[in-house]
Amino acid sequence: MRLVILSLVFLGIFAAPVTADPLSADEAFQLQVSKIADGGVRFDWTIADGYYLYRARISARSADGSERKVETPQGIAKEDPIFGVTEVYYERATATVPGASNQPIEITYQGCQENGICYVPQTKRIDPLTLAVSSHTDTSANVPSPDAAASAGAPEEPATGFSLAQEEGLVRSLLRKGGPLLVVLSFLGFGMLIAFTPCVFPIYPILAGTLAREGDRLTARRGFFLSAIYVLSFASAFSLLGAFAGWSGQNLQMVLQSPFTTGAVSIVFVLLALAMFGLFELQLPAGWVNWIAARTGRLEISKKSVAVLGFSSAFIVGPCVTAPLAGALLHIAQSGDMLLGAAALFALGIGKGIPLIVVGTMGASILPRAGAWMEYVKAIFGIGFLATAIWISAPLLPAGLDLVLWAALLIGTGTWAFSAARGNSGLPILARTAGLMAVIYGTILIIGAAIGSTDPWQPLATLANSSRSSKNTELQFASIASASELQNELRSASGQKPTLVYFTADWCITCRTIERSILTQDGVKQSLEGLHLVKADLSTLRKESTELMQQLRVAGPPTMIFFDRHAREVAGTRLVGEVTAELLSKSAAMVRSF
Amino acid sequence: MLNRRQFFATLIFAKTGASASILRATPLRAQGYPTEKDVYFDPDIPALGNPKGDVTIAEFFDYQCPYCKRNHPELMKVIESDGRIRLVMKDFPIFGDPSIYAANLVLASAAAGKYAAALEALMNTPARLSRQDVDATLKKVGLDPTELHAAYKKNSRQIDAIIVRNIAQANAFNLQGTPAFVIGRKIYPGYMNEKALKEAVAEARNA
Repeated sequence: MRLVILSLVFLGIFAAPVTADPLSADEAFQLQVSKIADGGVRFDWTIADGYYLYRARISARSADGSERKVETPQGIAKEDPIFGVTEVYYERATATVPGASNQPIEITYQGCQENGICYVPQTKRIDPLTLAVSSHTDTSANVPSPDAAASAGAPEEPATGFSLAQEEGLVRSLLRKGGPLLVVLSFLGFGMLIAFTPCVFPIYPILAGTLAREGDRLTARRGFFLSAIYVLSFASAFSLLGAFAGWSGQNLQMVLQSPFTTGAVSIVFVLLALAMFGLFELQLPAGWVNWIAARTGRLEISKKSVAVLGFSSAFIVGPCVTAPLAGALLHIAQSGDMLLGAAALFALGIGKGIPLIVVGTMGASILPRAGAWMEYVKAIFGIGFLATAIWISAPLLPAGLDLVLWAALLIGTGTWAFSAARGNSGLPILARTAGLMAVIYGTILIIGAAIGSTDPWQPLATLANSSRSSKNTELQFASIASASELQNELRSASGQKPTLVYFTADWCITCRTIERSILTQDGVKQSLEGLHLVKADLSTLRKESTELMQQLRVAGPPTMIFFDRHAREVAGTRLVGEVTAELLSKSAAMVRSF
Repeated sequence: MLNRRQFFATLIFAKTGASASILRATPLRAQGYPTEKDVYFDPDIPALGNPKGDVTIAEFFDYQCPYCKRNHPELMKVIESDGRIRLVMKDFPIFGDPSIYAANLVLASAAAGKYAAALEALMNTPARLSRQDVDATLKKVGLDPTELHAAYKKNSRQIDAIIVRNIAQANAFNLQGTPAFVIGRKIYPGYMNEKALKEAVAEARNA
């Protein structure tokens, strides 16, 4: 364009330093060509941000003029209030022309710049042997264009052996529908939904414990302020972490879920519990407090410690990947749009915290005022903290040790309930009953640990399994750790079965829920029958597994990707975060129908 | 450049069934740059807006290009409120056969003085068109597609030549696609909102 303008200036006819020049078609739709197994050719376009290709406008023919079959994956339904629905590709597009042939292939494609310009159809000729790309040429003027020479010299992209569905992505689709405001509002909503999942569970006792320590100073107003401060700092930490993780390309989970952080966090919980038991008063070192007080003055100490607590709580909840979190992280990583990503994560954090603020505000009236009751409440929170510590550290401990710890906690709690709950009225009897049950379950756990069980929910399963042989009940997953292993798995299933790739990790608490209560359901097992099951374990992160995640555009576990029998991901089937049996069965049914 | 022009020539002549001899008979000016007279005063394209206006907007467009069509009401609004703008719509069919078909029939309607009505009707349709859609749309505004088709057949040499000239100019300007506006001495690729259009017109007047 610029060159033409210059020559126009030179000729004095039309002169145009044009503003906001659209990219050249070759910049907007960068084409790479590679060979596929059957001798056919695969076309991969990298589409610039804000540009798209029409699925229906991709066609191919042989140099002799005969049509060639083009296979394209499902596109994204682009909805336009005026023009209805067209199927388009954003960011990436793929087409394959199967079958070996000696004839050069001419591929034609067309796209537009969003709200800008629609390009003339682009035609490229591909030599089937050398894969050299040239702009469409006729016999009389067989001069390759400059970009053709560049493409021809470029190294061939390694074939990945699979194709991903063209998902527009959560953030992008929201952005298109309603701009940044809709993104932020939606994330606020997502946060509120997530607030009631196990993901966020650990932060409830933290805040509640802090509020409980306030004792009779706690009013609704104070409860509101403290919980609001807590939630604000929580959300800030969340957005900072997200922005950093996205910017650095590191996954938030990976940053947070090293055994080191997990260990440190569980120790923090144990300390919190001890504080609840009255062993010491929990506060920041006096030096820090003075330093902060000297500078901020008006804020009371408890507000500051709540802020610190909120900030650090993000480290505990952050690791839990959910669909919106994954969406925001992928958006930051892919677009580099840190501001919007961070704003979305901030809104997510606030959303997660809104129920907390409600609890914190009402807690003042719900929580008993003062006196001996307060001690009980604190003790119960202490027990909650210890439980959280065990829960978090379980993956770090030798298998079975967590059972012993749970047993110790349950027996200890039971014993305490017995000694603390006196009298023959309703409540103490209830407390003693609960205490007794805790002691009994604790005892069973110890037995379970002794006979080699590892699941605290089924401590005696080992006994049951030995008497009733049930070998076929567990789903069998093949393990992979790298992209090449995935390719092998997909190849082995090629043409026969669809494949499910499940990303999981020891440290992923949601994954454990899925494995324990979703994958064990008979209905789910039935729906997964006939699928080749592959598990990518991210418990120890290596370079290969990070690459695999990048290739599959996975933000973290749990993520389930469904490939059809031709190793193509089916649009709309990917599951991120917590799943239900219904969703899983639906995706499995969809992938099977392809 | 040569390649793309060649491509378009094949595209148009293959789809319309016109003979390639027209291509040879038509002077292609792409070797030299088009003059303002070539772009703004093509004798065979009816001028819209104020034909005696002091500024001309030439728009290279396609009847199936979503942004051309979304841009159209805004463009017409600017032209109407200004009152002194001449508009030349230059068919640059890039979306295949239905676009060429639509261009042919609309240009053919000029003979009966219905060019503006036909163009407006087709610009107000959904982006994707079939030949049937084009016929139905023209029928709705009281035009008979069969008659228009006959009119096109009769004047096909002239009408095909208009489109070939447009494409040659588009190629000379190295236009990437549609819409593309030529206003004054400048080329503006892509969507132009009201403000941008007004500024461009003001600039053309000041030049």
